[in-house]
Amino acid sequence: MKNKILIVLGSIMVLGISCKREYLDPVPQTSITDATAFDTPGRIANQVNSLYAALKSGAFFGGRAQIAGEIRGENFINETTNLVTGADVWMLNPTGTSQNFVKNMWSSAYYVINLTNLFIDGMAANGSAVVGPTLSNNYLGEARFVRAVVYYTLLQHYARPYADGGGSKPGLPLRLTGIKESGFSALARSTVAEVYTQILADLNFAEANLPTSYATALLNTTRAHKNTAIAFKTRVYLTMQNYNSVITEANKIVPLVPPFVAPSGVAHALQADIVTVFRPPYTTTESILSMPMSATAGDNPGTQNQLGYYFSKSTGNGEFSLNTAGILIDPSWTVADRRRFFNAVVSGKTYLNLKYNAPSPYTDYAPVIRYAEVLLNLAEALARTNAGVDVRALALLNAVRKRSDPAVTLAPATQGDLINAILLEREIEFLGEGLRNIDLMRLLQTIPAKGSAPAKTPADQGYIWPISSDEMSLNPLMTDN
Amino acid sequence: MRKLFLLLGVFVFFCVHAQAQRTVTGRVTDDKGNPVPNASVLVKGTTTGTVTKADGTYSLVVPANARSLIFSSVDMAAVEAPIDADNTVDVSLRMEDKTMTEVVVTGYGTQRRREVTGNISNIKGAAVANKPVQSFEQALAGRATGVQITIPNGVLNTPPVFRIRGTNSISLSSYPLIIVDGVPVPTGDFSATSAGGNALASINPNDIESIDIAKDAAATAIYGSRAANGVVYITTKKGRAGKPRVTYNGSVSWTNVYGVPDIMNAQEYTDFKNMAASNNGNLNTTNPAGSGYIKFATSTDANGNLIDTYWPDHVYRTGFSNDHNLNVSGGNDNTTYYFSVGFTDQEGIIRKNDFIRKNILFNLDSRLNNFLTVGGKISYSNERNLAASTSGSLSGEAFATAGFGRLVLVNAPNVSPYLNNGSYNITPSNVVGPMGNSLAQVGFYNPVVLLDHNRSNSENNHMQANVYLQIKPLKWMTLRTLYGIDNMLVDNEVFQSPKHGDGFTAGGASASTLGKFKRWVWTNTAQFDYQFASKHNVSALIGGEQDRRTNVGFGLGRQTLSDPVYTVIQAGWVTPNTSGLAFGENYLLSYFGRLNYDFNKKYFFSANIRQDEYSAFADKQAIFWGVSAGWEISKEKFWEGGLSKIFTNFRLRGSYGKVGNTAGIGDYVIFSTYGSGLYGGQPTLIFNQAGNPNLQWETSSKVDVGLNFSMLRDRLNVDFAYYKNDITDLILNVPQAPSTGVPNSIPTNVGTMFNNGIELSLSGTPIRGKDFVWNSSFNFSTNKNEVESLAPGLTEVLSSTSGLETVSRTAVGYPVGMLWLVRNGGVDPASGRRILLNKNGNPVYYQYYVPAGQFQWTNPDGTRYNKPDGSANSITQATDGVMFGNTNPKIYGGWDNTFTYKGFDLNVLLTYQYDFYVYYGTNAGLHDMRFWNNHRDVLGAWKKPGDVTNVPKPVYLDNISNGSGLPMSYNAFRGDFIKVKNVTLAYNFPASIISKAKISNLRVYISGQNLAILTDYPGPDPEVSSNGNGNTNQGIDRNTVANGRTFVFGLNVSF
Repeated sequence: MKNKILIVLGSIMVLGISCKREYLDPVPQTSITDATAFDTPGRIANQVNSLYAALKSGAFFGGRAQIAGEIRGENFINETTNLVTGADVWMLNPTGTSQNFVKNMWSSAYYVINLTNLFIDGMAANGSAVVGPTLSNNYLGEARFVRAVVYYTLLQHYARPYADGGGSKPGLPLRLTGIKESGFSALARSTVAEVYTQILADLNFAEANLPTSYATALLNTTRAHKNTAIAFKTRVYLTMQNYNSVITEANKIVPLVPPFVAPSGVAHALQADIVTVFRPPYTTTESILSMPMSATAGDNPGTQNQLGYYFSKSTGNGEFSLNTAGILIDPSWTVADRRRFFNAVVSGKTYLNLKYNAPSPYTDYAPVIRYAEVLLNLAEALARTNAGVDVRALALLNAVRKRSDPAVTLAPATQGDLINAILLEREIEFLGEGLRNIDLMRLLQTIPAKGSAPAKTPADQGYIWPISSDEMSLNPLMTDN
Repeated sequence: MRKLFLLLGVFVFFCVHAQAQRTVTGRVTDDKGNPVPNASVLVKGTTTGTVTKADGTYSLVVPANARSLIFSSVDMAAVEAPIDADNTVDVSLRMEDKTMTEVVVTGYGTQRRREVTGNISNIKGAAVANKPVQSFEQALAGRATGVQITIPNGVLNTPPVFRIRGTNSISLSSYPLIIVDGVPVPTGDFSATSAGGNALASINPNDIESIDIAKDAAATAIYGSRAANGVVYITTKKGRAGKPRVTYNGSVSWTNVYGVPDIMNAQEYTDFKNMAASNNGNLNTTNPAGSGYIKFATSTDANGNLIDTYWPDHVYRTGFSNDHNLNVSGGNDNTTYYFSVGFTDQEGIIRKNDFIRKNILFNLDSRLNNFLTVGGKISYSNERNLAASTSGSLSGEAFATAGFGRLVLVNAPNVSPYLNNGSYNITPSNVVGPMGNSLAQVGFYNPVVLLDHNRSNSENNHMQANVYLQIKPLKWMTLRTLYGIDNMLVDNEVFQSPKHGDGFTAGGASASTLGKFKRWVWTNTAQFDYQFASKHNVSALIGGEQDRRTNVGFGLGRQTLSDPVYTVIQAGWVTPNTSGLAFGENYLLSYFGRLNYDFNKKYFFSANIRQDEYSAFADKQAIFWGVSAGWEISKEKFWEGGLSKIFTNFRLRGSYGKVGNTAGIGDYVIFSTYGSGLYGGQPTLIFNQAGNPNLQWETSSKVDVGLNFSMLRDRLNVDFAYYKNDITDLILNVPQAPSTGVPNSIPTNVGTMFNNGIELSLSGTPIRGKDFVWNSSFNFSTNKNEVESLAPGLTEVLSSTSGLETVSRTAVGYPVGMLWLVRNGGVDPASGRRILLNKNGNPVYYQYYVPAGQFQWTNPDGTRYNKPDGSANSITQATDGVMFGNTNPKIYGGWDNTFTYKGFDLNVLLTYQYDFYVYYGTNAGLHDMRFWNNHRDVLGAWKKPGDVTNVPKPVYLDNISNGSGLPMSYNAFRGDFIKVKNVTLAYNFPASIISKAKISNLRVYISGQNLAILTDYPGPDPEVSSNGNGNTNQGIDRNTVANGRTFVFGLNVSF
C-alpha cells in the first residue's frame, strides 16, 4: 500500500510537470514589432523623427559628414595622426577597409535610405490611412527629402563629380524600396546623372508636399519644410553646375533686393551676429536645417564623432588645427571680421575653437544647410551666368561679408574676380561646416597640399574615396572607384 | 580459511551469550603497514561506531549481539571483519581499485565508468585545486583529450577560450554547457567593465570533487539542444560518513608578467625617431622657428639625470595573493554534510587588477528511511573583480586608447610620468606631456594617472542552490525531483577621472549598472534499474525539465563632475543618463529519456533522447538523440588465453547522434523590430532589427568510435577515439550589403562545417617501486576544422578585432578564422622599401614619403604600379590579401607526470599546441613609425643601399610598411608551443610525526605556473586571444597583456 501511494505521488511529480507554456511565447518588451509599427498616428510620427535621427548619426550628419567634407580640404591640419579620427581622410589615402569614414559613412547613409524606403512602403501599405492624406503627404515629403540629402552626400565622396563627364561616371546603387530580409544585396551602380535625377525628383516631390512651416522655431530648424527642400536644391544644382536652375530655385526664397529674407514659408534671413547661429538655442531663421542634440545618451553624436571634439582645442580634443597656410591667413579676412571670433590660439596653434564650443557630450547642433549658403549659391550662379560683375551677386556676397565685417565692402573688378571672391567667402563663412569638399569637387579642382598631406589632382587616386570593402565583398554587382 | 572464520564466528556467537557488552580493540593499517587514522569503525547493521586514532588504534564498546565490524576510510575499500574471541580485530585496508567502482556523471544520473559507452573524460577535482587560478576551467588545459583551453591574457578572471573538439559554431557560442550538481549555470564574462568577470569563478575550485567532460553525441544527447559544444558536469564535494573531518588549504603566491617586448630606451628612441623624421621630406626637422617643427630630445629629471622611463614598470607589478579554504565534512550512515568556506585575494600582474572571492558552500544529503532521501545545497559567492582601467586585452578593447598593454609600449621612453615638480606629466591635449621633445604628442595617456584615479570594477553576488527529494518506492525504481536556482547580481562600477584619460574630455565620467541574471530549473526524473535472468541489466530514465531564465539590467551613466573632488556616481554630475539597460527572458521545456542495457557486462547498449521546446524560436520543438554501443572483448571466451594475461580489459565502443546548439541566440531574434530613441528630445521609433522567423537550432551529427584497454595489470591504460562532427544548419549572421540598409546581419540557418580528429590518451605507471612511483598521463588530440558552405552568395565572413582591424576571414574550404593578410616580400636592399606581394605574387614596393617624380607604389623597376587601365594602383587587403594561416591548432594536449618518493611528490604538467598561426598585431604597433616607441629590432632597420634586413627604412609617420594600416604577413607567426604549465613539489609529513599533533594529514608544497614556454613565437605568449571566445577571430594577439608567471607556497592540513 505504501509503495502504491509513493508511486502515485512520484508519478504525479514526474509527469505532471506543471509547465508554464505561456513562457514559450515571449513578446519583446522594449521594442515594437514590424507588424504593428504603422498602427497608430503616434508610431508613424515617431518614425518620421527616426528618419532624421538616423541622418543625425554621429557617423553621418551628426558630425562625421561635415568633418569629412572639411578635412579633405586644405584648411585643416591633422594633429593626432589617429586613423579613428580621420588621419587617412585628411591624408587623402583612406582604403576601402577604412572603418571610420569610408565604411561607416557608407553603411550609416544607406541605413537612412532604407529607413526612408521602409517608411514610404509602410505608408503606402497602411500608414497613410492611419494618419490621413494631408499628414501622410507631409511625412512622405520629409522621407523623400531625407533620402535626397543622403544620396547627394554619398555622391560627393564615393562618385566622380558631376562635372567629370556630365554625370556619366558610376554613381551609387539606387535603392528605392525598403528591405528587411535577406536576398537583396546585389545591385549595380547607377550613373551619377541617374542618381541626381532621383535626388531632384525627391526634392521636387518634397517641395510640393512639405508643410510651409511648423509651429516652433525648433521644428522649423530640425524638420524639413518647403524652403528646406528649395534651399537644398540650390546646393544640388550648384554641384551639377546647372546655374540657371540654382537661380530659379533660389529666387523662390531670396528676394531680388535686400533685405534678403525669404518671402514665403519660414522667413529665413541672415542673423545680425553669426555667433548667435552657433549658440543655444541654435534655432534662428538662418539655420534652415540643423541636427539637434541633447545631453541624453543617444541624442548626441557620440564618442569621437563630434564637431567640437575635432575642431576645438578647449572643449574638444583638437584633432585638427587650422592650416596656417590656408584660408586662415587670407589677407581679405580681416582681424575685425566677426567670424575670426571662432578662432583661437591654444598651445601655439590656431583652432576653430569656438564655432562648436558646447562641452562634452557636445550638444552643439550640427549644421546641414544655412541661409547664408543659399545666398552664396545664388550669388555664384548669377556671377557665372551673367557677364561682368553681376550687381545682385555682389549684393548677396556683400550681405554675407558685411554681416560679419561691416567695414569692408567687396568690390571685385571682373566676373572672374567676383567668382573667386564668392568662393573665398564660402571658405570663410562655412569653415568647419563641411562644404569645402563639395566646392573642390564640383569644380574638379585639385585638392591642395596641406602639412604633410600631398595634393591630389582629379586624376589622382584618392581624389574620391574608394567604395566600402564590405559593399565590395557582399554586393556582387558593385564596382570600386 | 573460511572454516577458521566460521569457527571464530561460532565462538563469537557463544561469547555474546556470555556477556551483554564488551569492548573491542584493534589497529587499522594500510597495505604498507602504516597506521590509518580517522578510519571509520562501525558495528555492522548499527550506527554504533568510532574512528581510529592517529596511530590507527581504536577501542569500541559493542553490543552483545555484534558479530562483525565494518572498517572504512577515504579512498580505501571498506572491509568487513568478524569480531574474534579475544575482542581484538586488526585489519589492513587497501586503496580502492577505482577503475572498478568509479562512477561518472552522465546527466540526470551516474554510471560505472566501465559501463559507459559514450565518450566522457574524467578529471579529478584535485587537478584544479590549489592552483593559482580564479575558475576551475582555467586549470583544465592539457588534462583531457579533446579539451582545448587557451588563457587569453593576464587579466584576472577572464574566461579562457574553452573548446571541446574544435570550434563547433561560427555565430553562436562554442563554449561547452556547464552543469553544476545537476543545474546548468551561466558561462562567459558577465562583467561590463574592464575587469574580467567569469561567471564560473563562483565555484571554488577546491570544492570540486570531479569534472566529467562529455564529448560525443551519446554522452551529451540527454542535454539535447544545448549539447553540441560538449557538456561538462561539475560535482561538488559531499560529506562522507565518519568522524567530522576538517581540512584547511592555504597558499600565498607571487605573480609576475613575462614576455614584455624589448623596447627602445630613451636615447635609442630619441636618435631613432630623429633619423626617421629626417627621412620624411614632408617634415620640418631643421627650422625650429618654422611651422610643424619636429625634433626629439631627451630630458633630465630634477637631479639632472637622464629621464629614461621604462613604462612597463609603472603598470606591471609583482602581484601577491593569498588563498584560504576551510571545510568540514562528515556524517553518519544516514546524513552527510560538507561545509566549506573560502577566501581568496589575488593580485594580478597589472596594478589594481585584483580578484577577491568570498564563498560558502553547504551540501547536505539525508536518508530519512529506506525509501525517502532529501538533500540540497546552498552556495553563495561574492566576487570582486577590480581594475583601474582597460588593459586593452578583453574582447573589444584591443585598440582602447587607454589600454595598458599598448600604452606601456607606445609611450616615449624619454618622458617621465611625472614632471620635475612632482606633478603628473600630462597636457591639455590629454596625452602624456612631450617634455623636451619638440612636437605635440609622444604618447597616448599617462597610465600612472589612470592607475591612480580610475576604477573599472565589477562585483558578482552569485547564489546557487538546489533542493531535491528522492523516493524509492520499489527496489528498482527511483523517483526524484530537483529544484534549483542560479541567481547572479552583477554590479558594475566605472569611474573615469576628469584629470586625464577617457574621462578628460567629458570632465569626468562614471557608470554604475546592475545586471540581474536569474534562473530556475525544475527537474523530475524516474529511474528504473532491473536485472533479468541475472545477466540482462536494464536501466531506464524518463524525465521532464523546465529551465527559465530572465535578465534585467539598469543603471546610470553620468558625465561631467560638478566638483573635481567627487569620485562616486552618487555625487554631483551634470548629465544623468541611463546605462546598461537590458531586458530578456527565455524558457526551455524539455522531456527526455534514456535506456541502458547490458548483457552480462559484456555487450552494452545505450540510447538517449530529448525533446526541447525553446521560446526564442517560432517553430519551437525539436528532438535530439544519441545511441551508443560497447563490447568488452576481454569477457569473451576466446580472450581467456594469453590475451587475458596481457590485457586486463579491452573494449570497443562507438556512438552516433544528433544534438543542437542554441547558446547565444537572442531572445527575440525571430522578430523584426522598431526600437525607441530620441531626435533632439522628441521620441523616435526606428527600424533596428531584421528578424528571421524561420530560425532553428544548429545541428551537430556526431560520430565517435574508439577503443580502450588496460594492460600489464593496469600499468598502462590506453584510450583511443576517432570523432567527426558534422554541423548543419549553422547559424550565420548573414551580412547584407551595406547598401541594403538592413541594420543587422540576419541570423539564418545556412552553413555547414565539420570537425574531425583523433584522440589518444596513454596513462599508467611506468615505474612502481617500493618508495618511488612515477605516474604519467599523456594525451594527444588532433582537430581538423573546415567550413563546407556559407550562405548562398556569401563567400566569406570577415571578423574584425575590436572593430578596427580585420585579419580574420572565414571562407568555404578553410578552417574558421583564417588569417587574411597581404604577403610580405621583405625589404628591398637597394631602397629600404617594404615589398609586398600582390594577388598574383608579384612584388610591389611601397614608400611612405614620395619624393617628386616618384610614386608611392611601384614595380621593382621604379615605375608606377598601375591598374590594367593605366591608373594608379595600390596594394589593398581586399584585392591582394590571401588566406595566410590557420589559427586553430591542429594538435594539442598535455603530459601530466607525478613522481612520488616516500613523502615527496612532484607533479609536472606540460601543455602543448601545434601547427597554428597567431597574428601578432602588437608587432605592427611595435614597428609603427609615428611617435610610437618601437621594438629594439628597429635599430637594425635599413640605413643604406645593400643593407639586408627585415625592417624597412624608417620614415616618420609611416604606418603602412609595418602593417598598421595594411595587415600583412610580416606580423603572422607560428604559435606552436610547449609550456611547462605547472610544477608542484610537495612533501607529505609522515603520520608518525603529525599524529602526535592530532593531525591526520599535512602537506606542504611549492608550485610554479607558466614556468617556461618553448616556442618560436616572438610575442609574450602564443596562448592568447584578443577576441575572447570569438569563434571566427581567434589567434589574434593585438595589444594584449601577457600571462603571468606565478610561484605558490601552500599547505594542506586535515584533522
